[in-house]
Amino acid sequence: MARTNLTEPPKIHRIPQPKFIDAIRWLPSPSPFRKSFISSLFDSDFHTPSLEIHSLDPSKTLTTPLFSWTPPSRISSLKSTPSLFAASTLLGSLHIFKTPEEMSVLGNDMSGLGGETAVMEPVVSVVGREFHVGSIGGVDLMEGGSECVSVGEDGRVNLVVEKGGFRRVFDGNGLVSYSAVKWASPSEFVTGGCGFGLQWWDLRQPGAAVAQFKGSWDHGTTSGIIHSIDIHPSRKHTCLAGGSSGTVFAWDLRRQQEPIILSSIGSSDTMTQPLSESEVWEVQYDHYTKSLNSNISSSRILPAMICSEDGILAVIEQGEEPTELLAEPCAINSFDIDRQNPSDVICSLEWESIVILSRP
Amino acid sequence: MPDVAADSAASASCGELVPFVPDTEISVVYPLHHGLKPPISRVSISWARGNNLRVSLLRNPPSNSDSDGEIGGKVVEVNLDSGAADVREPAQWRRIAYGSVTPFALLQSRKNSASILSKLQSSPSPFHLDWWEYVMEYSKDIKELLGNPKSNYNPLIEDPKEVLKKGEEPTSLKAAWELMEMFYADKLCQSWLPERLVDWLADYDCLLSGDQPAVHSKLVEFQGTLVTLQVIEDDPKYWEVISSALAVGWLEIVVKLLRLHGSYQLDQIGPRETENGLVETVAVLISMMPRMRPELKNGKLGECFKAKPDFMKAWEKWREQITKLDSSAFWVLCDHHQTREGLKNLIQIMLGNTRILCTATSHWIELYISHFLFIRPFTVGFESMYNLAQKCIKMKPMSSPHKLLRLIIGIIGENTEVVLAECSRGFGPWMVTHAIELLTARSDQADILLHKEHDDIGGISMEELHRLVYAQVLTSHFLTWQIAPVYLTSCMRQGMSLLEVLLYRQPAQHNQLLLKNLEICRLYELDHVSSNIMKIAGVYHWKHGRKGLGVFWLQQARDEFLLNKIAQQLFDSVGKSISGESFKQWEGLIELLGSESKPAGSLEFLHKYRDFKKLLQQVCERKTPDAARHAADLLMLLMKNPSTPQRFWLPLLYDSLTLLSWQGRPLLNVSQTNLLLNKLQELSMASLRPGIVATDLPAEALDSVRLALATNLGRAILEEQ
Repeated sequence: MARTNLTEPPKIHRIPQPKFIDAIRWLPSPSPFRKSFISSLFDSDFHTPSLEIHSLDPSKTLTTPLFSWTPPSRISSLKSTPSLFAASTLLGSLHIFKTPEEMSVLGNDMSGLGGETAVMEPVVSVVGREFHVGSIGGVDLMEGGSECVSVGEDGRVNLVVEKGGFRRVFDGNGLVSYSAVKWASPSEFVTGGCGFGLQWWDLRQPGAAVAQFKGSWDHGTTSGIIHSIDIHPSRKHTCLAGGSSGTVFAWDLRRQQEPIILSSIGSSDTMTQPLSESEVWEVQYDHYTKSLNSNISSSRILPAMICSEDGILAVIEQGEEPTELLAEPCAINSFDIDRQNPSDVICSLEWESIVILSRP
Repeated sequence: MPDVAADSAASASCGELVPFVPDTEISVVYPLHHGLKPPISRVSISWARGNNLRVSLLRNPPSNSDSDGEIGGKVVEVNLDSGAADVREPAQWRRIAYGSVTPFALLQSRKNSASILSKLQSSPSPFHLDWWEYVMEYSKDIKELLGNPKSNYNPLIEDPKEVLKKGEEPTSLKAAWELMEMFYADKLCQSWLPERLVDWLADYDCLLSGDQPAVHSKLVEFQGTLVTLQVIEDDPKYWEVISSALAVGWLEIVVKLLRLHGSYQLDQIGPRETENGLVETVAVLISMMPRMRPELKNGKLGECFKAKPDFMKAWEKWREQITKLDSSAFWVLCDHHQTREGLKNLIQIMLGNTRILCTATSHWIELYISHFLFIRPFTVGFESMYNLAQKCIKMKPMSSPHKLLRLIIGIIGENTEVVLAECSRGFGPWMVTHAIELLTARSDQADILLHKEHDDIGGISMEELHRLVYAQVLTSHFLTWQIAPVYLTSCMRQGMSLLEVLLYRQPAQHNQLLLKNLEICRLYELDHVSSNIMKIAGVYHWKHGRKGLGVFWLQQARDEFLLNKIAQQLFDSVGKSISGESFKQWEGLIELLGSESKPAGSLEFLHKYRDFKKLLQQVCERKTPDAARHAADLLMLLMKNPSTPQRFWLPLLYDSLTLLSWQGRPLLNVSQTNLLLNKLQELSMASLRPGIVATDLPAEALDSVRLALATNLGRAILEEQ
């Protein structure tokens, strides 16, 4: 079923990279012709991880490294806001950087740097066993604010402030593990973990999560892990989550026990044919795709984009056929929709390349 | 393995087999960058993953306590060059490996469906009628990968003095692939194979210059001097290069060079009219050369003929014209000596003078090509091609032939084993694995040879052997191991078992990698492998203090045995901490244990225990009879359930003292109370046995519970009467 607003296929640019890309994010750019992005990379020949900012030439076929930094281990999660970006590592450290625009090194011209790749330094680094033990599953920066929440396999939930230092929100002592986190409001955030579990936290009610969701709708014996959570700024009571077995669902705080399943193999609902049967690595609300349904009630889930282990990048909407944007022979591990220009999507592929989609 | 002893004089006397003479010139094979300060006292070399050598370098431990701050040693991995030398970067290799997966998998699935189809039709040949067309499609996809993406050079203004056009930078990998494609797969070019070889040499001649310069390198060299030459036709190099280029059939280059001749210049054309006429006539004749081929690429010269009789006629006519020109009277009038000799030489080449062809070319393959062009344009069949090649090799012997030339000999010698060996030696396992599809495209003989099962190598065929070798290379790198299953599953005999080994070998520490691993299990329906992997991960996380993740993976693996085991450990800590505030910590884990349908072993108890505790709390706060009744039911369920550990019986009962002594009416009836009393009796008997875990309940707990139960029994009897 073709969407009316996607009659033209998107323009696809593939750019091979010499390193493995763990995660990729757009960065704000002063001009739409000179875009830049941040990627966490892993050089398999030297076994060294790196965090690099690249600029993209207007033809979208060539990338030039601008800044780079060597983290203590591989990056496990990468998030960005217009002014900051945060990266967490598999060894449990968190590093916050200012975006190049904020650093005001670049001014208005990104090409003024010459051929050299400059070294960037984090404004905040939090390390040590006090902070997290083992891999950090997810981080999220507060929109417009300066606080960064981090969750880990060790079951800890920490709040890092821009000035440095952190505050423990919860310590699960390894009895639980978290793999994703997303801010809902300046005092609320949602975490996700094993067994398709979601937890809603409110900093005003410390000590424990204020609401819990346990994904057991499939009544089967298999379960999975939440990999990614997104919350739409206009619907802060609903969170969208994606995880194992092609599962994408929305959890509405007002109807806590009734998740809205957008895609899942275990679902008995015949209408939602699973888009993918493997891991959904990332979900993001897609501001570019306009909802087909004119009835935009607040309980309806807005269109969202997903990427999966079996190489699918698609837009899904409640009650509609999904639209496949890409079907790759290898996994799509991460993607990001440009905030300034939501028609542009960047994704990183398992086979050491990035793909840039420009939707018409 | 200790390093070579530095003291050679001492070792020579110890009767070593090969004397080590340090003052002979030692050529450095591979410089090792280790960054250690000399002296290095010990070197140890061992195999690492795949094609890597692990070199451990150790310094002497510092004798004095204040060390120089240097590290004591370092381990370096040395990657041994794999395959073609012109694809040096590992990233580029991986790109080829990634890109070839899809065409390979597509061809395999087509092959499978074709063989199913042929079985249905009970036809003897497993191949579809136009199987080679599928192979050509595959070959086209692979060829695209082998090109060098870096060299895209397209000048806007054409340089009139630029004789050689820069195109894509050729690689010997692609050259070898094209060779095999034209000989084995492409059915359409069989009738004009010699001409196809001419094209091939034009593309890849530059790869051949080693110790001997090839025609291409001569041209490159001449191109460099072209700008500085004043009178081009006086230079003997000019004529030499032209005749070489003509001998290998690069007609457009020859014509372009001829038109650079001085007699074309406007101020010279008058006095050198005859000379210019001769040059132009030769150029025109060259550009009119008949070619036995369906078509020519843009910018290439010659006249194409598809049918042999037409070509014959044109060829004879062309030769006649050349002979006529050769005996023309105009030569006498041409007084520029070099021009006259040079042009005559070109005519001899066109007439097929073996001696001159031999001097004009440098490698045997060039001579071979010139034979096709000017002496025997009708050479068909492998045998005559092979004989001709032998003749050319005799005339131009080479001490160490290039790997591409060795491959050509193997191909036209119709020796599949040699071709495979050359592929493997010169281009690596990737090449062999993928080229086998070309080899078997049209030849039944190669097909039989490659699919014959050999008992001495475990009953696998040559094809499978090469695929396994390539899969081994892929698995040695942590980025390419994920594509190895595609090749392993195409191996009928040993592929699946090796795949299982591969999957077990992957690290289980990080969930993301683990999930990718499990995805492969899911794709190939290896459920037992995936459940084992999940068990490994579960135990790993459990051991590292991530109890939640551990339980999650063991639950996924449905391993009740291990779940029961760790449940005992968990209960120890639960007994102490599961009260009031610390409940919140357990909440997540208990949520994870989830509904009854999930296998949780005795951990299931935790869930019920939590629910009971919650209810009890409500009862204490609100004192509603309904809640109390409900709590009492739950207590009975827990006490009756065999999965409730015995050590929790007393704490459970002690916690429910409020229920047992509920004001109003008793919550438990006679039989229920009797059951609880029996349990209590059992417990007090068991406590006499050694090895029972003491609870941290007050000493009088047992007595107070017994008293409460007895009271309740009395009240229940009264109630029931």
